[in-house]
Amino acid sequence: MAALNPPMADRTSGRSPSSGPAGPAVRRPGRPGRPRPRLWRGLVGLVAAVYFLGPMAFSVLFTVDVPREGLTASSYRGILDAEGFWPSLRLTLELAAATIAVTLLLLVPALIAVRLSVPRLRALVEVLCSLPLVVPAVALTAGLGSVLQWGPDDFADTPLFQTFNSLQEPGFPVVLLLAYVLMALPLAYRTLDAGLRALDLATLVEAARNCGASWPRTVLQVVLPNLRGALLNTAFLTLALVLGEYTVSSILGYQPFAVWIVSLGGSNAQVSVAVSVLSLVLTWVLLLLLAAAGRGRAHRTPRATSRRAARRPSRTAPGAASGRTPGREDALPGSANSPRTGGTPPLDPDTLPEKP
Amino acid sequence: MTATEAEAPAPTGRTGGATVEFRGLRRAFGTTVALDGLDLTAHPGELLALLGPSGCGKTTALRVLAGFEQPDAGDVLVDGRDITAVSAHRRGTGMVFQSYSLFPHLTALENTAFGLRMRGTGRAERQRRAAELLDLVGLSHLADRFPHQMSGGQQQRVALARALALRPRVLLLDEPLSALDAKVRLSLREEIRRLQLDLGITTLFVTHDQEEALSMADRVAVLRSGRVEQVAEPGELYARPATAFVAEFVGTMSRVPAERTSSTGTVDVLGMRLPVSGELPAAGELDALVRPEAVALTADPHGPATVVAAAFLGATTRLTVRLPEGTEVKADLPTETAAALPIGSRAALALPERPVLVDHRRVP
Amino acid sequence: MTTAPAAAPLPAGPSPEEAGGSAAAPTPPKGRAVARRRPQAGGGLAVLPLIVFVAVVFGLPAFAIVTGAFKTAPGAPGGVHWTTANLTASVQGAYRTALWGSVKLSALTAALGVVLGLPLAHAVVTSRFRALREAVLAASGVLANFGGVPLAFAFVATLGNSGELTKALDLTQHGWSLYSFTGLTVVYLYFLVPLMVLTITPALEGLRVQWREAAQNSGATTRQYWLHVALPILAPSLLGGFVLLFGSAFAAYATAAAIVGSSVPLITLQIANALSGNVLAGQGNVALALSLDMVVIAGVVMALYIPLQRRSARWLR
Repeated sequence: MAALNPPMADRTSGRSPSSGPAGPAVRRPGRPGRPRPRLWRGLVGLVAAVYFLGPMAFSVLFTVDVPREGLTASSYRGILDAEGFWPSLRLTLELAAATIAVTLLLLVPALIAVRLSVPRLRALVEVLCSLPLVVPAVALTAGLGSVLQWGPDDFADTPLFQTFNSLQEPGFPVVLLLAYVLMALPLAYRTLDAGLRALDLATLVEAARNCGASWPRTVLQVVLPNLRGALLNTAFLTLALVLGEYTVSSILGYQPFAVWIVSLGGSNAQVSVAVSVLSLVLTWVLLLLLAAAGRGRAHRTPRATSRRAARRPSRTAPGAASGRTPGREDALPGSANSPRTGGTPPLDPDTLPEKP
Repeated sequence: MTATEAEAPAPTGRTGGATVEFRGLRRAFGTTVALDGLDLTAHPGELLALLGPSGCGKTTALRVLAGFEQPDAGDVLVDGRDITAVSAHRRGTGMVFQSYSLFPHLTALENTAFGLRMRGTGRAERQRRAAELLDLVGLSHLADRFPHQMSGGQQQRVALARALALRPRVLLLDEPLSALDAKVRLSLREEIRRLQLDLGITTLFVTHDQEEALSMADRVAVLRSGRVEQVAEPGELYARPATAFVAEFVGTMSRVPAERTSSTGTVDVLGMRLPVSGELPAAGELDALVRPEAVALTADPHGPATVVAAAFLGATTRLTVRLPEGTEVKADLPTETAAALPIGSRAALALPERPVLVDHRRVP
Repeated sequence: MTTAPAAAPLPAGPSPEEAGGSAAAPTPPKGRAVARRRPQAGGGLAVLPLIVFVAVVFGLPAFAIVTGAFKTAPGAPGGVHWTTANLTASVQGAYRTALWGSVKLSALTAALGVVLGLPLAHAVVTSRFRALREAVLAASGVLANFGGVPLAFAFVATLGNSGELTKALDLTQHGWSLYSFTGLTVVYLYFLVPLMVLTITPALEGLRVQWREAAQNSGATTRQYWLHVALPILAPSLLGGFVLLFGSAFAAYATAAAIVGSSVPLITLQIANALSGNVLAGQGNVALALSLDMVVIAGVVMALYIPLQRRSARWLR
């Protein structure tokens, strides 16, 4: 037993010269450096848990601990009656759905095409999707506001004026939708790109085409199902973005959910915190549902190692390509001598004719 | 297979090599037992290959020696000193990993000099020594390259140079060739062996590739389920495997049903009475294990065997024949002889009067 | 090569080109030239909507910012003409203070976010409990992106003047105020630390076990391993993370607006004020100039980030 070994002091002096000038060997017997990292991790985790869960817990306390009323759920009951709750929630959810749809419709075809047929556009797409990062939401809003001013200022007498008006339709402000899609692009791009990278799309598509699938079928039945995880992730992050978005909508004067919460804060702090708590809880529930949905299918590449392996199959598969030269040496290994591979050449999908 | 090295006298005369002993090593990961009482000794200056299927504990044994794993029980001794409790950075072993172990932010030279830098060796001295080592592995011209600018084979050479930098008395090679292309693998195999012989350094070489183990090692230890199944020189291992596992893991074997006979030390195989090497299993039905080169095939339209497959191996061709009851037997024939036995033809089969290994019948 | 158009889910539906492309692909010799050109066309077609979208929705406001920053206000005496007065104004007086305040706050919170996020990410990455790991990463995704208003209210309820913790510990007596630079720092870290965790996690996962073991094998202690191997390898990612966090803090508006109103001078608050005409009429173009200042700073930040990202990706493949 390692633990039963006598102290190392006597061995230290006789340590082999190979360990050189730094020589003397042992400091702590037993398992070097094992328990410490665990303690350290625990401590870090604890501090983080307090900092991140604390505000949530105190928020809940704040909402149920109403002065002179004691513990009550009245703040939460108040939400439904609060003026503007339903319209703002409806607006936000509609915007979220539209944003997710437009973002995916813009990005998915572009990213697939860039991976498969127009790789030289890849840098362009990456730049396009990163551009919004350079313009902070406030600045974007300033620019948008200025553009919207062109309507009445410069195009008042033209048919374009109508377009400007419909962009700002209070029932469903398209301008917000456009801004949100733009703001969602960087994150959505990265999420989808990561998903595609783990896929080896070219091989997947070639295999599907080789099996006789048409292009639309290939995309709909092979590529998209494999992208499920990334699509769900993108949808979720976009949803979170729209649910919490305040800058553009408040400055442009609309009242989606986040703006409504703030407007409520002035008059009824308890209720506004209660709504905040609820919206966070709602987000978490959605997240859990999505995670469950993503896990339902076999699509799982969670470990870093497996992702790396997927990216570079030829180099990481140990021994998979243990090519051997024919001749004497091959008499030894029992390699590739199963009767099945004996006479026929290996099946190569590329050599099979494509079905019409 | 290169039997020459194995037959050469053990290079004990060389300096620098240490004796490495594993004594009763046990290590379990959860319910998986990686080492189950491993006992093994590497002699000074020898290249000892640890060979076995994945999960047999060979890598774990190496990592215990390097200090990356702690055994649940047992000791590791280097030159008779117990180093089980020494932390990894003071073990004085040099290790080459399977792949991607070079520090990506350092050049080949800086990678090689890393250990010296950790030890506080002066800059000039460590540059000189690292350059020397790179020269030793034939990469002086790539000293300023970063790992991502080198091929897999070059990276492994640098890793070897780095492992040798601190003049370790034990060199540990953890499947260093398995991520490389076939050609590179062959040349690097020879180079590692040459270096190892030059330096006379005790080397433990973990591999799942029996060809690699047999062609490089002074001795080969076949591991199975965390124990040593057999330790022997390559020629011995091939010719006289101690167990059916070794016999089948090293080289190719066919299983042929065998019958007990009234006289001890023999079995009947395909109507022939053959001597048995080793003990017969006490009870139950038996299989005889035969090497393909020990099977004689002759074309015979009324023979019992049918040729079902042929694999061209160069000078020889390996034929697979099926016997009436379904047993498949492999036989190596000179290629020109094999031409007379196309797939589908009938053949007669004979086994030489040579001892065979007998094992419990395995239902295919 | 079977590279044919991949544009099936185009908003406009499958175009004739794609149908032709998929039909042409199998015909070997004669169709080759066609098969090689069609996919390009189809691929380009699939990228086109994205290009158009960004050109219009990003391009027009960007154009408006740049031109507006150099123009006088519409109602200005003497009509609209080119000027640098807006830009000059945007780096003077209160605006200067606000710019500086934003830079200070962003730099401080980004630095803290890196320093605090790294150990947390490391603890998460090396944790044996995969469920915990995934939960923390998912939660980080929410906190880093959701942020904003609910976050602000959670902190108001906790550490605000009548917050639960403030009352319980009587923090106001000890000089605590959420509505201050320090207060904002505490709040910003709530979304910056998760952002750092998200950013650095791939890099930490890319740190190979072999590197640690090779270092140990070469005689390096844990400290030496971190100093000479892990941190240098992580350096581009850490710097990249800092830059990203800086940008995120710099652009943040909702949190600050919901918490401090305008008691802490921040550039985003100034722009919003100028836009909504809270300060002076005709400040719209100064707001555009301020926006241009922000864009320039954010652009510099991105320009720093991309090469760092590249290098890190090359090392940590």
